[in-house]
Amino acid sequence: MMQQNNNVILHIDHLQKRFGKFQALKNITFDVHSGEVFGFIGPNGAGKSTTIRTLLGILRASGGTATLFGKDVYKDSVSIHKRLAYVPGDVYLWPNLTGGEIIDLFLKLGNTKHNRKTDLMIKRFQLDPTKKARTYSKGNRQKVALIAAFSTDADFYIFDEPTSGLDPLNEEIFQQSVMELKKEGKAILLSSHILSEVEKMCDRIGIIRNGEIVETGSLSDMRHLTRTVIEYQTMQPTPELQTLQGVHNVTTSTNGLTTFSVDSDQISYVMDYLASKQIVSLQSTPPTLEDLFMRYYSSNEGR
Amino acid sequence: MENRNFHQTWFLTRFSLKRDWLKLALWSVTMVVLFAAIAAKFTAIYDSQSAIDEIVKTLKSPSMISLFGKLSGTAPYTVADVFAGEMTVFMAMMAAIMNFSIIIKNTRGEEDSGLLEIIQSHSVGKLSNLASALIELFIINLLIGLFYSLGLQFANLNGTDINGNFLLGLGLGASGFMFAAIAAFLAQLVDNSRSATILSYIVFGIMYIARMSTDVSNPKATWLIPFGWVEKFSTYQENNWLPVFLMIGLSIILCIAALWINNYRDIGSGIIATKPGRAKASTFLRGPISLFWRLHRTTIIVWVIGLLILGFTYGSIFNTIGDILKTNPAMEKIFGAAAVNKANILIIKNFVAILMIVLGVLALFPGIQIINYLKTGESKGYLELIHSKPISRNYLFTSVLILGILTSIAALFAGIWGLQLGGASVMKHPVEMSVFLRGFYGYISPVILVLAISACIVGWIPRLSVFGYLYSGLALFIGYFGKLIDLPKWCNKLTPFGYIPKVPVDKVDMGTMWWQLALAVTLIIIGYIGYHIRDLKSAN
Repeated sequence: MMQQNNNVILHIDHLQKRFGKFQALKNITFDVHSGEVFGFIGPNGAGKSTTIRTLLGILRASGGTATLFGKDVYKDSVSIHKRLAYVPGDVYLWPNLTGGEIIDLFLKLGNTKHNRKTDLMIKRFQLDPTKKARTYSKGNRQKVALIAAFSTDADFYIFDEPTSGLDPLNEEIFQQSVMELKKEGKAILLSSHILSEVEKMCDRIGIIRNGEIVETGSLSDMRHLTRTVIEYQTMQPTPELQTLQGVHNVTTSTNGLTTFSVDSDQISYVMDYLASKQIVSLQSTPPTLEDLFMRYYSSNEGR
Repeated sequence: MENRNFHQTWFLTRFSLKRDWLKLALWSVTMVVLFAAIAAKFTAIYDSQSAIDEIVKTLKSPSMISLFGKLSGTAPYTVADVFAGEMTVFMAMMAAIMNFSIIIKNTRGEEDSGLLEIIQSHSVGKLSNLASALIELFIINLLIGLFYSLGLQFANLNGTDINGNFLLGLGLGASGFMFAAIAAFLAQLVDNSRSATILSYIVFGIMYIARMSTDVSNPKATWLIPFGWVEKFSTYQENNWLPVFLMIGLSIILCIAALWINNYRDIGSGIIATKPGRAKASTFLRGPISLFWRLHRTTIIVWVIGLLILGFTYGSIFNTIGDILKTNPAMEKIFGAAAVNKANILIIKNFVAILMIVLGVLALFPGIQIINYLKTGESKGYLELIHSKPISRNYLFTSVLILGILTSIAALFAGIWGLQLGGASVMKHPVEMSVFLRGFYGYISPVILVLAISACIVGWIPRLSVFGYLYSGLALFIGYFGKLIDLPKWCNKLTPFGYIPKVPVDKVDMGTMWWQLALAVTLIIIGYIGYHIRDLKSAN
């Protein structure tokens, strides 16, 4: 516990934000530690960007606290920003400046310079830096912000839906570059609704809904909270399955295979039952992030 | 084929009228009310023939011709003649500003923001958007023109006639549409709305200056300048409709040219293409101030040089204005050459005193634009990444403030220096720079005060940032027209310019200067606080 506290980079505690009468953030609480990628997921309008913009000191929180490197995100924004890099979801660039000029400007504003890594990143993402920003597509504008962020030597990186305009090839490059940062022990906050990306990259995940964090933890932690899908065939019939605790959605197909889902804490009990009926074949599918996500969102008021 | 190019034009026209109704209504009502209210007031101001003769004498002086255009016709003059003489050029200028802003927004602006792409992906003709924007402005200008005419009918000035009322009203409407067609055409040449706006105003500035100098030197040559046609109506005298037809003719040619180019170019492109630039930033581009300079470089240069040229052009008519012997040949014999020279210089100083408000307000526009960038850049999302850098809000605020104030002061100085240079180029005994500098020093404090008001608004309520422009426009209107339409004295006190002594005729009043600067500093500090504590908006 003590050890974990030492490398907390971002600490958010009951953060709230109100726009007039609209409560955009009701209760946001989570931490991000160094050397981890924290996935921040939720549908459009749930409050992901509002949270991030509050962390950047662009918006002022109406309640709760948020600290980065132990400093208040609003009051100490300037000194925090010296150790932070950010890529917004929608990148807007000055139309009459070139991509190269903008990258260099961002680096200089962050007290660094065009360096070896900048050139490497320009090459990796295959950006033409001589073009005026007005001629860039959405993906290319995102590349400009990504190149500037990746070639900044920061301790905390915030990516707000960074790959929404990138092609699969560049998405791969993005993931690879984030993994490199992670290896260097940096802390990364990745907001996304591309769940396969989050599943692949993130150590821990926070799910936000209607301005509230409804779940945080590692993907495997979360799996305990949900159901595993099991497909099986047994020698003897299993009429009692339906009535067992924690078993749902039992369906039997014509080829004799039965499928059901089971609450994670009831698995061993159900397995014992199936084993007693002489298992012929059995396949279990762990819940994907998508299942988790759907479970939190499809039920409107479900907790 | 033609039909397909214009498919759904009417639908788009109705749509844009619905979308723009508030903007169109505000512009139309402001212009019509302004026009009609002044017309209605004129009978009271110029109630006797002697009052009319007095103002006609003023309007016939070269300085007034340069500002308001040439008064046509011969004596005896009526109130109607005076009204047409004073208002025509001014209303045409207002029409230009209105039409430029709307047509560029609805054509290039839609293209920049990507909205046009969405529209064109539907079953819509390639030329429908441009055509509908032109039709929209044709309708609005026609309506405004009709309301002008009806307003004149109702104001029932002494000396008006129906033909003249409709000529002046519809003629001004036609001039408005001509400006829309000019901007629509120029917007096809460049590939973004900012360049289109700058180019349109450059063309307008050239026409204004050409109109002014031909009016003073050779009125016939004014026929060569489209902006000068409004002066050739000869309203209530000969009632000449030829200029109206010329304007409509030119509009049609420009509309066809614009549609033709639009048909042959790709979406998002222009005849003058954007060139690739540098792969790395220059060492100069390194912080907020240099970034804001870089972003506004063209604007700043255009305004400073534009004001220098405007000043020079006004200055180059000093010899005509300051030649009292023309009107009073006996003066030299009675008072001697020295006294005549002194009197001439006084006339010039008085003329400069009127010009000061023009130069002062024009110098404000680029400054306000730069300060308002904290709002425009913020709502367009350009500043979001800057806000994530170790750059404090105070630093950003200071940067725009410094650049804005320096730009306005440089533009003001350029205008005044232009006056001196222009005067020196034509006069045997040029007026010294120190006289003009008195005007410059006198106007520094009100200019900074208006900029401070803008900064305070951007700090607290950014959505009202357009106030700075409106306030400056009001200052120009009061200073330019106040005496002619006999506005009450308190109107003068509505803007900081009204508190300034009549420089350079009078001396700079240090007391006024200090309290205005102190007020400006206070407002700036309040603005800092607001910008420090408020939420910043995002683009989405």
